[in-house]
Amino acid sequence: MPLGADRYASRADTLLFLGCVGLSVAAMSLPDRWRDPIAQGLRQTVLAPFLALQQQTELLSAARAHYDAVVAQRDSAALAATFLPELRSENVRLRSLLGLGVRLGWGYVPAEVLHQPEPTNPLTFVVSAGRRNGVRPLSAVVSSEGLVGLVSTVDDRTSVVLTWAHPEFRASAIANDGSVSGIVAPHGAAGPGVWLLELKGVPYRQQVLEGTVIVTSGLGGVFPRGIPIGTVVGLAGEAKGWERTYLVRPAIHPAALSHVMILTAARGSGGGADTRGAFQPDSVRP
Amino acid sequence: MRRTDRYRYWVVLVGLVVLHFTVRERLGGDRVAPDFLLLALLIYTIRAQPGRSAAGGFVIGLLRDALTPASFGAGALAHTLVGYLASWAKAVFFAENVLVNGCLFFAGTWLRNLVVLLASGRLAGAQLGWELLVWSPIQSLTTAAVGIVILWLFGRWVAVRRADA
Repeated sequence: MPLGADRYASRADTLLFLGCVGLSVAAMSLPDRWRDPIAQGLRQTVLAPFLALQQQTELLSAARAHYDAVVAQRDSAALAATFLPELRSENVRLRSLLGLGVRLGWGYVPAEVLHQPEPTNPLTFVVSAGRRNGVRPLSAVVSSEGLVGLVSTVDDRTSVVLTWAHPEFRASAIANDGSVSGIVAPHGAAGPGVWLLELKGVPYRQQVLEGTVIVTSGLGGVFPRGIPIGTVVGLAGEAKGWERTYLVRPAIHPAALSHVMILTAARGSGGGADTRGAFQPDSVRP
Repeated sequence: MRRTDRYRYWVVLVGLVVLHFTVRERLGGDRVAPDFLLLALLIYTIRAQPGRSAAGGFVIGLLRDALTPASFGAGALAHTLVGYLASWAKAVFFAENVLVNGCLFFAGTWLRNLVVLLASGRLAGAQLGWELLVWSPIQSLTTAAVGIVILWLFGRWVAVRRADA
């Protein structure tokens, strides 16, 4: 039904309108002592649920903002917790490295291992010390546990370390008690013994007991004497009845390293050539 | 008219009231965010007679005055005028057109602000000019835009049916 003139000409409508206008004007002219109780009464009755709704909305909004912050903090904590074991391990390693540094006294350069996501990373890796730090090619690289390898290439600020796992690695070795000597080399590039070393050139008549600690002999002038290499774990083979080869479990795996110490060239001769007293007695576990 | 249409109509109005107390503060400042409460009144006036629209406006205005006691009564007067005039205007310019309804929402919001400002006497000079010529048109625009969207979404629920009002 379309609107007609009677709609807005209704007397009732007009009277209602005028009544509302009158009440509004009356409300405007109310003194404060009357106005405030009325407003307060409305807020506490009719408007109460709406104000509660608004308050809840505000709380929800604030809670959501807070929730986002909490979630961000939780995620950060979870991420940090993921690395916690590694951090602890690294912390222990750093502490032991510091201890090694104190015992070495001089002639070393600390460096961080700059790991790369490459499968060949354990064979050669880059460290954060170079020529400027006094690093020279063929410098010995050690950790608190023992021998890591030697520096193959030196850049201005970094160096490339060739680890004991590299097929070209060789080190003149000797039993910790001096009973036997030989050459330590990687056991192989494939198979279960890929991360083991072998002590070659041991005279056939000499028996090396399992658990014997093998250290560098100091011969050849590359590695100072006394750096732990590993522990004998068994016989690898015999060659024509005149020499034996023994399997050696390395003192440290290159992939587990985060920091190393590079022994500078000055240590390669003189009194500093013997480092036997620098390494912890339990660094190589039999 | 189906029986459920009446409920849907009130659902839309209650929904606007709820929106006013929930999402309005997230849609911008107080001076630019759409006024859902006034929009509910204006949509109510589409179907209601002028007297009832005036009464509805008075109630809404008084409730709003309770929330802003500094201009107590001014809101009641403004909403009464807007309710009555909107209903009257719908009678004069009867047209179920989105643009007409949008203009009604825009004019209603601006008029409400004008009356509140003049009746309360709180603002004067340049401040009054800024409110009436800058902020009020913006708020009127946002309110009208929301009103058009509401009518577009729920137009059949709030259609003008004089006999049912």
